[in-house]
Amino acid sequence: MTDDGPDSSSRKPGLAAIALFGVLAAVVLGSASGFSDPATGFPAGESIIHNIGYALFDIDLGEIPSEGFLAAFLIIAIALDVALDSAVYLAKQEDEGTIVSALTDGGQDIVDGDVAATDETDETNRGGDR
Amino acid sequence: MVPPEYYLLLSSGLFCIGLFGILTRRNALYFLMSVELMLNAANINLVAFSFYWGNLTGQTFALFAIALAAAEVAVGIGIILALYRNFGDVDVMQAATMRW
Repeated sequence: MTDDGPDSSSRKPGLAAIALFGVLAAVVLGSASGFSDPATGFPAGESIIHNIGYALFDIDLGEIPSEGFLAAFLIIAIALDVALDSAVYLAKQEDEGTIVSALTDGGQDIVDGDVAATDETDETNRGGDR
Repeated sequence: MVPPEYYLLLSSGLFCIGLFGILTRRNALYFLMSVELMLNAANINLVAFSFYWGNLTGQTFALFAIALAAAEVAVGIGIILALYRNFGDVDVMQAATMRW
């Protein structure tokens, strides 16, 4: 496993992050007077969850102002599908770019189209997708 | 209501913690966690200003960002698995070439 212990030389780039926080904090606190107006907030008694649902499906029933996100909702759904498929593909891919794990029966390797004989004495052969 | 500048401070702190993790760590899993911190810092801003302006667009956008973060983690863990399989480690510094 990666040695990720404390090492002063590897921590030096982190100073940039700390410096960035200093800059951001100075900017935020310096411009705090720009937020003098009280927050508008959401109407009392109005369900935020319902209104988010209306916004996601582009339905004009909500009382809280928003925009329609139906197209974005569908695009995100496709993106999640692609991500799931690619994650499975990356996890399953083995030697020479072929997917072997999906073709095994209970973790037994396939040899020339047949399931290889299980060697019970082999400690490394514990079944399952390896 | 909590003033918006406090949300901005919280979010910038979270973002910088994530940036610190990315700049200093070599373990790919820590990388992934740090990227999540940075994404959530953006989400805090979206939700805070959604309430400040009384408009739900920010909260809906935060939902999309969470969904994209889930997709990113799914692909990221797949890449880490491939990294471990090919290099025997999850140290991002070892994968210095594009050779498969």
